Amino acid sequence: MSKKCKYYFTNIGISLGILTLVFGVSVILQEVFSMGESITMLFVFGVFLISALTEGYLFGILSAFFSVFAVNFAFTFPYFSFNFTIPENLVSALVMIAISLMTSTLTTRLKAWQTLKVEGEKERMRANLLRAVSHDLRTPLTGICGSSTLMLEAEGELTDEQKRAMLTGIREDAEWLTRLVENLLSVTRLDGEHVKLYKTLTALDELIDSTVQKFNRRYPDAPLSVLLPDDVLLIPMDALLIEQVLLNLLENAICHASGMKSLVLSVVAKDGVATFSIEDDGCGIDEEKIERILQGSTLSFGEGADMQNRHAGIGLSVCATIVRVHGARIFATNLDTGGARFAFDLRIEDTENAE
Amino acid sequence: MPNKYTILIVEDEKNICTFLSALLETNGYRAIVAHSCREGKMLYSSYTPDLVVLDLGLPDMDGAELLKSIRENELTPVLVLSARGEEGEKVRLLDMGANDYITKPFGPAELLARVRSALRAHRHAAEEGHFPGGVFCLDDLTIDYDARRVFIAEREVKFTQTEYNILALLSEHAGKMMTYSAIIKAIWHEPTGDTSIKKLQVNMANIRKKFGTPIGTKGYIVNELGVGYRMRSDME
Repeated sequence: MSKKCKYYFTNIGISLGILTLVFGVSVILQEVFSMGESITMLFVFGVFLISALTEGYLFGILSAFFSVFAVNFAFTFPYFSFNFTIPENLVSALVMIAISLMTSTLTTRLKAWQTLKVEGEKERMRANLLRAVSHDLRTPLTGICGSSTLMLEAEGELTDEQKRAMLTGIREDAEWLTRLVENLLSVTRLDGEHVKLYKTLTALDELIDSTVQKFNRRYPDAPLSVLLPDDVLLIPMDALLIEQVLLNLLENAICHASGMKSLVLSVVAKDGVATFSIEDDGCGIDEEKIERILQGSTLSFGEGADMQNRHAGIGLSVCATIVRVHGARIFATNLDTGGARFAFDLRIEDTENAE
Repeated sequence: MPNKYTILIVEDEKNICTFLSALLETNGYRAIVAHSCREGKMLYSSYTPDLVVLDLGLPDMDGAELLKSIRENELTPVLVLSARGEEGEKVRLLDMGANDYITKPFGPAELLARVRSALRAHRHAAEEGHFPGGVFCLDDLTIDYDARRVFIAEREVKFTQTEYNILALLSEHAGKMMTYSAIIKAIWHEPTGDTSIKKLQVNMANIRKKFGTPIGTKGYIVNELGVGYRMRSDME
C-alpha cells in the first residue's frame, strides 16, 4: 500500500510541478512579453518531460489532455473559452497527445530493457558461481569423506605417518571449504534485491589490525608489511566485508604472485578519500583476464589442478562485488618494477569535530 | 586432578558437542553437555558450572532465554558461540550480559584461550570485587587505580582523563567483550550514535598509539570489528 501511495505521490508531484511551471512561464510570456505563439511549444515540451520522467502512460496522457485544454482555454484566441473548431488548435492537441504516447512508450520500454539486462547479468553470474562452486566443493569433500572413512575402517593397518597425513589433509580441505563458504555468504548477502550493507564508522587501524592478525594466523611466514597514515581515519563501511576484500586480495598475492619477496598493504588518505592498495613483487598478472574477473563477466576456474587456482576466481569477484556496493571499484595493474597492484578507494568521514 | 572447573556446553549439533567436550576434557576441565535450552537450564541448576558455552540458534528456544535466567542471580561467565551473519544477535547477547563470543568455525587453541580468559577474570572479580591492591597487571601493563596512573614496563604513559576512564573500565572487565554501547554508556552516559562511536574510536586509536603496539600483533586490547573491545585477562 505504501509503495503504491509513494508511486502516485511522486508521479503526481512531478506532473503537477512541471505543469505549474509551464503554466507560470506561459502566463509571463503572454502578459509581459506578449509572445503567445511560443506557448504551445512550451506545453509540448512540458508534456514530453512528464512522459519521460513519470512511470507508465497515465500521467503523460493526462497532462497532454490538460495541456490541450489549458492552451485552448487560456492562451489561444478566443481567450477564456474552448474552441476546437479552429484547425490549429486541433493539430496542436493531436501533436501533444502523440508525443506523450510515444515518449511514454519509449521510456517504459527502456526501463524494462534495463531491468532485464541487470537481471540477466545477475542470473548469469549466479549460474557461473553455482557451477564453479559445486565443482569446487566435490574435491575437498571427497578428500574429507574418503580419509575419515578409511581411518575409521582400517585404523589398524595405517601407519602413524599415513594417519597424520590424512588428518592434515582433512584439516586443509576443511579450512579451504570454510573460506569458500565465507565468500559465498558475502555474495549471497549482496546478490539479493536489497543489498544489506551494515555500514558503520570504522577506525582504519582497527580494520587493518584485525585483518593482519587473521592473515598472519593463516600465513605466518608471509613477507607482509603495512603502511598506514598517522592520523586517525574513520571510514564508513561494512567492516567485515572490507576485511574480507583485503584478506582475499592478500591471499590472492600469496597464491598467485610466484617469486614474491615482499607484500605491502598500504592506505593513503588524500582529499577525503582513502586509497587501499596491495602490492606484490611477484610475477605480475594478466591484466585483461583479471579485469574480466573484476567486471564480473567471467569467473575463471579449473585452470590449475591445485585448489588455490580455482579459488581465485570466486575470491576476486567477491572483492569486486563488495567494493562495488561501497560505490567504488578495484583497479588491477602491473607495476613497472614487476609485480601487481590491486587498489580501491573509500570515502573518509572527517574526524575534526570528535572530542 | 582434584577440583576441576565444570563447563556446561549448550549446543544442539552432535559433532560439535563431541569435539568440544573432548577438547575441554583433555585440557583438564569437566564438561557437561546439554542439547537444548531446557536441558541446559536443568543441568545448570543441578551442576552450577563455572562457565557456560552457549550456542545461538538452539532448537527449543532462544539462547538469550537461558542467558537471562542465568543472569537473574548469578555472574557465571557465558561464552557465546555464533556463526557469521549473526552480528546483531551477538551484540544483543553481549549487552544482555554474555562475557564473550567466538565465531564458528574456530580452532581449539582459540576456544581454550577464551575459556581460560573468562574463568580467570571471573575468579578475580569473585575474590576481591576488584583487582588486588587496586592494581591491574597484564604482562608489561600496570594500571594503578588509586593514583589513576598507567605504566608499561615500569615507565609511565600519560593518558587523558577520558582515555584513562576507558582503560580502567576495560581492565575492570578484563576478559569480557565490552560492546560499543556498553562503553559509551559507562563513559559518557549517553546513547550510542554515530557521534559517540566516533568519539570512542578516536580515543581508542589514541590509546593504541600510546601503547605502541604494532599493527597486526597481539596487544593488550582486542578489537572486534563492529562489536567492541576486550582487555585480555592474561596474554593468552
